[in-house]
Amino acid sequence: MLYLHETHRVMGRHAADFEALYREEWMPRLAASDGARLLWYLDHAMGSGPSYQVVTVIALAGGEAWEELAGRVLAGDLRDLDRRTDACRYESEGKMLLPVAWSELQEVDLGEVPSDGREHEPTLYMQDTGWPDAPLEDYVNLWNDDYWAIMRRVPAEHRLLDVVACFEVAHGTGVRPEAMLMQKIVNLELLGRLLTETREYDPSTWPGSYMAKGLELRDQWESKLLRTSRWSPIW
Amino acid sequence: MLFVHELHSVVGKQASAFESAFRDGWMPALAREDDARLLWYLDLAHGSGLSYRVVTVTAVRDGAAWERLAGRVSGGDLRSWARHLDRLQHRSDARVLAPLPWSPELPPLEEIPVEPVEHEAVLYMEDTMWPHPGRLDDYVEAAGSVYAPSLRAEGGRMQMHVDLALRTLPGAGRRPEVTLVQKLESVPRLLHLLANEPPPEVTGPGSWMDRALELRDQWRSRLLRTAAWSPLW
Repeated sequence: MLYLHETHRVMGRHAADFEALYREEWMPRLAASDGARLLWYLDHAMGSGPSYQVVTVIALAGGEAWEELAGRVLAGDLRDLDRRTDACRYESEGKMLLPVAWSELQEVDLGEVPSDGREHEPTLYMQDTGWPDAPLEDYVNLWNDDYWAIMRRVPAEHRLLDVVACFEVAHGTGVRPEAMLMQKIVNLELLGRLLTETREYDPSTWPGSYMAKGLELRDQWESKLLRTSRWSPIW
Repeated sequence: MLFVHELHSVVGKQASAFESAFRDGWMPALAREDDARLLWYLDLAHGSGLSYRVVTVTAVRDGAAWERLAGRVSGGDLRSWARHLDRLQHRSDARVLAPLPWSPELPPLEEIPVEPVEHEAVLYMEDTMWPHPGRLDDYVEAAGSVYAPSLRAEGGRMQMHVDLALRTLPGAGRRPEVTLVQKLESVPRLLHLLANEPPPEVTGPGSWMDRALELRDQWRSRLLRTAAWSPLW
């Protein structure tokens, strides 16, 4: 299974129109095919980064499904919708993601993904994208062995987040080496502590910790705080 | 046909090993299957931009073939090759591109050389454009009906032709985006272009340069030189 990840730079005046296009047209029209479903619609939380940025993730059954979707967008029944979407954004940056071996998210049953816009409370995600200066698989393994494996053992009441998925960029569709964690924030109070407490994550005071060990493989990453819309199929 | 376009930021001390990895590793590894072929191996000409940048273009038969290739890289027989490459490059930025309706066609995959064949180096000008929002289709049409024929016209300023005209596929790069792979046939003409201001007939009212501003004003040109063994040149 493939995951089509897009970051959209939306025109502020057209932000509501852009969201409506995804909720009322992209989501149901993707659901009309067998091979594609919108999974996440996420707003970059204002106050934590760039303005008016939206992240969408579409699940695809495989390479053929991607080619079919691209054909519909470039020259088929989704062409007009794509043009109207273009008129609401400055640009979009896309990449295709593959779940790594230890990722909890692997396959999605496309038939079970909601496409009716049912409402729920918004959920906050921390999307971490990292660029190691070491072989990619070493970095991905570090995330599992020294980060998520430890986090997973923390009692639920003391846990900041759950790693929902770990991806690498599929060949030819973006940056290499690059990997991504989709992490669901499960405790906002702990997020507040993370944002205000520096000592705990200072590698010089926590030798041997994930932060210190991680510096052997990378020192460049980006965290984005993304909030699901109230109708995002997955939240 | 789809095209995987990669811009590699190569570790300078490993530049030779990096080239070998593609000539002796990637090219023959692709040739073991029918799905994909390396087309171009191109160095960004020193003195014209960033240092130690290499562009590779790999053709894949279709979406299913791309998925199989991606699987070979992430967890198959090309995984160790990719791990080796991670040591030779700082990073690579890749896109998957599809031909524009008016793009010239390349030879079928079966006819692409899969062993190094030495030849003269050839210079390409690779132009990447970002049309204004909502104007992609208009730009594609104008580039095919006005710009590309003007390159071929007798007495054309550049003596250059479009080998491939491409747009970025949804989900594999920035959109809207168009890339033209253009082969230069005259280095003196290029040098004249670089050293002289464009004359009024090229930029004045009614010219392509003038009218195309309605469709885009942001683009980037790269001067790329084929390796002596690049399968296409």
